[in-house]
Amino acid sequence: MDSNQKRFVEDALDLLNELDEGLLQLEANPHASAPLEQVFRTMHTIKGGANMFGFEKIGELAHQLETLYDLVRQGKMQVSDGLISITLHAFDKVRDLFKEKDAAKINNAEALSDHLKSAIEFLKAAESEMVSTGKTSSAASAVNKDELATFFIRVSPTISLTVDGNHPLVFIVLDLEALGTARTFCYKNEKGDVAHWDIFLSTTTSQAEIESYFLFVENECQVNYTKLFACDLFGSDEFKEYLDQFNAVPVDVKALSAFVETLSAKCKETHGSEAEDEVITSSRKKAHHDTYIKVSKRKIDDLLNWISELIILQAQLTNATSGLNSPAINEVTEQLELITNRLRDTSLEIGLVPIETLVTKFKRLVRDLSKTLNKKVNFLSEGAETEMDKDVIELMADPMIHIIRNAIDHGIETPAERKAAGKSEHGTVKLKAFNTSSYVNIIISDDGKGIHQERVLQKAIEKGLVAADASLTEEEVLNLIFHPGLSTASQLSDVSGRGVGMDVVKQKINDLRGHVSIKSTSDKGTSISIKLPLSRSIIEGLLVRVEDTRYVVPLNVIDRIDRIPYTLLNRENQVNKTVVVNEETLSVFSLRQKFHNEAIVPKTADIISVTVHGIRKGIAVDRIEGKMQTVMKPLGEAYHQQDFIAGSTILGDGSLALVLDPSRLFQLSDN
Amino acid sequence: MKNQSHAYLTFALGDEKFAINVDHVQEVVEFDQLTKVPNAPSYMLGIINLRGQVLPLLDTKLKLGLPASERTSRSRIMVLDIAGTDDKTIQLGAMVDVAREVVEIADAQIQPAPELDGLQSTAPITGIVNTHGDITMIMDISKVFSVQDIVELNRPIN
Repeated sequence: MDSNQKRFVEDALDLLNELDEGLLQLEANPHASAPLEQVFRTMHTIKGGANMFGFEKIGELAHQLETLYDLVRQGKMQVSDGLISITLHAFDKVRDLFKEKDAAKINNAEALSDHLKSAIEFLKAAESEMVSTGKTSSAASAVNKDELATFFIRVSPTISLTVDGNHPLVFIVLDLEALGTARTFCYKNEKGDVAHWDIFLSTTTSQAEIESYFLFVENECQVNYTKLFACDLFGSDEFKEYLDQFNAVPVDVKALSAFVETLSAKCKETHGSEAEDEVITSSRKKAHHDTYIKVSKRKIDDLLNWISELIILQAQLTNATSGLNSPAINEVTEQLELITNRLRDTSLEIGLVPIETLVTKFKRLVRDLSKTLNKKVNFLSEGAETEMDKDVIELMADPMIHIIRNAIDHGIETPAERKAAGKSEHGTVKLKAFNTSSYVNIIISDDGKGIHQERVLQKAIEKGLVAADASLTEEEVLNLIFHPGLSTASQLSDVSGRGVGMDVVKQKINDLRGHVSIKSTSDKGTSISIKLPLSRSIIEGLLVRVEDTRYVVPLNVIDRIDRIPYTLLNRENQVNKTVVVNEETLSVFSLRQKFHNEAIVPKTADIISVTVHGIRKGIAVDRIEGKMQTVMKPLGEAYHQQDFIAGSTILGDGSLALVLDPSRLFQLSDN
Repeated sequence: MKNQSHAYLTFALGDEKFAINVDHVQEVVEFDQLTKVPNAPSYMLGIINLRGQVLPLLDTKLKLGLPASERTSRSRIMVLDIAGTDDKTIQLGAMVDVAREVVEIADAQIQPAPELDGLQSTAPITGIVNTHGDITMIMDISKVFSVQDIVELNRPIN
């Protein structure tokens, strides 16, 4: 592949993600024109690029599919499950092909022939149907139109926010607009904050579903829903003209309903033509997009390296000049410190990408899974713009997919069960992401049946993981699901439940120095919270000293710290492997005994209690020096075998400290 | 080819003089602070901080199977680029007793190396230069510090 082709493949992979996103939106709202236009445009771009860079087969496939969507645009065909499915599957194959390194393999004629064939057949079937039902499928569309309804939604924020602000509410309003044909009026108060939004929305989405969009922001706004009419009012020019006046005057709900009354009779006659009122919507959505450039990872790493050098130099400069009584120099060093810190913050941000890419993947997963399992599931996401280290996002994809799979497979009930339990037939899986200080929080929750705690406990007792008479707190029982080899699904399905899952999820999160916790209420659902450090290279830990070597113990696994006399660890040369701390017997790994000289011993030792793989153990060190946040650097290939050292970090005086990986440290003592 | 010459860095291990091609040498720095990494072979001294970059530091004499010597004020660290797997180079520090100077040595001056006792690795000496009885051994640094060697030999010792 030449470099142009490589660049095309990279761009195309991004486009394919956009396409997936658009197709899923279109499936959810078959009448919305914004996603349809987006799908059509994206396919067209892929087609053009593929033909230009010599991937004719992909171009041909994109062309066939584009033809289908053109028919939809012209109103000659309806968006159907079948259409979305063949499109998704076809482009899945294209995505697989793009992973090949060899251009000839990507352009392999065989690979896409099945998909090409099904696209052509779909077109033929659609055409013959058109012929048999007359020239347009107006009959079919009329049936669907009955589900259409026009809503008037007034969203009044109770907090102060601006239209171009970053508040989730702003995006929710945009999301609503994408549900169908919409017209939004935004009214501001004298301070320039949003007083309220008035949204006219014609959609097939039910009111309950629209309400669910506001779940996360219930406390920050008030929403009033008025169902204006069970039909698409945007079909009427009169209605559109009527709406124009609201640009100047706020909507008067009473006058509005009176107008709708008079219009209602006419509406039924005139629902032929579909209104195109979405130009405003889509153009406004675009305004939120920044411009981007692609930069190779290596350049960013280089930049970060140079900046860490700068930080160290700057610290040395501050040290060296602190004795000088020169205001001029002091001022310069202070300024330099300020700018160096800003530079560090900005450069760390460069490596971050929004988790949006994952969200599209999850939407696909939810769609495919709910179809396989015959469940009705909505997937909602909030905070998709939250940014994380690119590597972390890639490493977290599988664990999160696993959690979502579990939520749908084990959590969400079948529509019949849900109905019987008095819930809406549609289950909801929510992904919420947000930042707190130097962490990214991800909460995946569902409104399914929750985790059957008794069954978990029973299973754990059966497998001998806990004693039969043990009394565990709710939290302890729930945490058992992270134990290796415990699966509560009495019937194994091929989706999840092989008992190798949640423990791996937990392990991966621990490897990233993150934290996971679980909450579950019977019949109400389960929520799993993941807390991850913003960047893989920034670490929060305890700085400790053993002899003259300094180590860092990651803070996320530490439970407590105790100081004990050293003789408890080593009494008359008899090495104790356990100590009693806080009335609990703790198996202890002494860094001094394992790695350092025993000749001169200190009077006391500090025991750091950590929990790894659900088991509490202790690390014995000479002295704890303090808490620190710092940049971790890998040790590289040379120290690959010493994997209990996760990396190293440069301290303020230029010396190095070793960052411990507690779980691997204990593996070392087990062997 | 015979008349070509290359730049070499000469250094001393004990009483012996050695030279390596400067292409592999990034710089020579003084020994400052060292952080030991536990459970590593004795020739892997630990890690050093080279202006914000963390490098492994190896003892060249121990690696060659020669007896270790005291660290003195003349001890130097040669910062070397070693070809690793997948076209990557890794950087490491190699401790030597004395680092001397960069000299030009013509290919014609280099004689084939005689069999040497006491040097462990598979013939890291590719030739010798005899200047009026003063012998300098040309060392192939990639044979002394091959990445594979370092990674494989460096098994935990427990």
